[in-house]
Amino acid sequence: MSAPTPPLLRLHDVHRRFHLGETTIEALKGISLDIHSGEFLAVWGPSGSGKSTLMNILGLIDAPSSGSVQLDGRDTHAMADDELTGFRSHKIGFVFQSFNLVPVLSAKENVQLPLQIRGGDLIEAAALAERALIDVGLADFMHSRPDKLSGGQRQRVAIARALAVAPRVVIADEPTANLDSENSAMIVELMREMNRAKGVTFIFTTHDPRLLAHVDRKILLRDGAIAADEESV
Amino acid sequence: MNRATFFTLALRGLTRNRRRSLVTLLAIAFGFAAIGLFAGYTHNIYDGLARGSIHGELLGHLTLNKRGMREEGKLNPERYMLSAEEVAKISALVASEPGVKLVTPRLSLSGLISNGRASTIFIAEGIEPTAMNRLQEGVLTREERTSGIYDGLIKKLDPAKPIEILPSRGLFDLLHFSQEELAPMLVSTIAGQANALDGAIGKPFDAGNAGLNDKFIFMPLALAQSLVDFGGADRLTLLLADADQTEAMRAKLTQKLAAAGFDIEIKTWQELSDFYNQVHTMFDMIFGFIFAIVLTVVVMSVANSMGMTVVERTREIGTLRAIGLKRSGVVRLFTLESLLLTLLGCAAGLLLTLLVRYGINAAEINYTPPNNATPVPLLVDFDGVRILFTFALMSVVGTLAAFLPARRAANQPIVDALGHV
Repeated sequence: MSAPTPPLLRLHDVHRRFHLGETTIEALKGISLDIHSGEFLAVWGPSGSGKSTLMNILGLIDAPSSGSVQLDGRDTHAMADDELTGFRSHKIGFVFQSFNLVPVLSAKENVQLPLQIRGGDLIEAAALAERALIDVGLADFMHSRPDKLSGGQRQRVAIARALAVAPRVVIADEPTANLDSENSAMIVELMREMNRAKGVTFIFTTHDPRLLAHVDRKILLRDGAIAADEESV
Repeated sequence: MNRATFFTLALRGLTRNRRRSLVTLLAIAFGFAAIGLFAGYTHNIYDGLARGSIHGELLGHLTLNKRGMREEGKLNPERYMLSAEEVAKISALVASEPGVKLVTPRLSLSGLISNGRASTIFIAEGIEPTAMNRLQEGVLTREERTSGIYDGLIKKLDPAKPIEILPSRGLFDLLHFSQEELAPMLVSTIAGQANALDGAIGKPFDAGNAGLNDKFIFMPLALAQSLVDFGGADRLTLLLADADQTEAMRAKLTQKLAAAGFDIEIKTWQELSDFYNQVHTMFDMIFGFIFAIVLTVVVMSVANSMGMTVVERTREIGTLRAIGLKRSGVVRLFTLESLLLTLLGCAAGLLLTLLVRYGINAAEINYTPPNNATPVPLLVDFDGVRILFTFALMSVVGTLAAFLPARRAANQPIVDALGHV
């Protein structure tokens, strides 16, 4: 009998509190969660349920008030900011709701940016960026700036940017919120393809129950706690 | 992130809000040009005054006299004047020093000069005619020579005319002299006796200074010696091959003459030219004042521009941080952007300086400075040293001005930055 594979991401009793004046808001209330490599997972729930807070903690851009977060077996709590930033740049890709592309850079330059930030070779970064853009179907838009692209195309660029660094996990917070239903379905389908083709773990949040049909696993958050954690059949 | 990426991002960042970048760039450029032009103007003034002092006022680079001559010489001239023998010995010692181009005795005197109907006081300088010509070499630049407006400043004693005297223009006009007219001069000899001799009026010259223009005379040294009945001189004037060696030569000659038993005091032309020092100090203060104002404007423009840029690009900063840019990288990115903006502003300012300088110099504008007898051209030099200094200082200050906004941006929590609206 083989030993069970350790989880890619492990959250243990994660709490996140925000202080607004004298009021304390507890956005996450003791979340414990294991996410394994290669999963295609959706976090869903109503507004204010703590989805974005959970994604920020999973993406290591926010820290829990208490509890622990492990990525690839490493506890991230003790990491200094520079180490955490380096860790993030190698392990995590991000897709944002508003695409968050740098407007003065072309699609290709946007995609190669995280590679260059990581200190990679310029020629190699350019080649990887081209490959990533071809993978997401934007071979003809490499030199277009974001303002010349549609919303769906911009989100494809963002997905290419997230995948270019060959991350262990892609965190996508509401990647379809600014898109129409047709583009939303296409983006989720694209993420699914990439998940299958490259084995990269995808975690995304959504309001749209129609998109949940594509996922392996869906976690329902309600009032900062996991209300349901279901494997799709 | 490698340098090329930082550079590309910073340069592209400047194009984000072109109007604001342009306004900041123009503020830097105009400030730089203001400093560059004023530095060039004062450089021209300093250069002109230096040439005027060394070659125009015939101060030479160094002046040698017996110690105490300046303080006590009027009351006890016999003690403090240099005898003919001393002049000869000291001149020989000094002339043997490499780098000394000319050493010549000088004799100052004062008295009354008359046109036969009226008299007025005069101050005179006795100098050897050939030495006078050599001292004046280099008093005018090529442009000044060709412009002709300084022709009146050049004074020439004819070695073949032993009693020729050159009156300043004001004196010439005051006594209605005509050239070659004989004018009696009455002076006190070194022994305190009255002595009178005729001088033949030569071509008048502009003394350059309104206070001296109605009383100054140049005459051959021999005539001056006859008038005061003394064969020596009150000082020796030295011209050096290299003006930059003035201080070093003073030190060398002081030692050499002391070793030879002469108690000689040596003054540089700067020490003797009060006017040069006063003007230099005044313009240095004005330059410092303008520099401080411009630097303040540059710092405020850049800080304001970068502060607004950082606020506008907060979400982008959050994205860059999320995808792996360290805090130090954010600071580096925005300070580099500011440095580029400042460098571009300085480059534009340099271009503006050159264009305006060309325009001013080509316009041939003349003006009469206070206390000046003649108009002078308004010319602007290219002061490379101060331009380079301004370039360097502005670049440093412009970069530092972006440091605080950049650090503020870098220290923002990523989540807050990403949520910025």
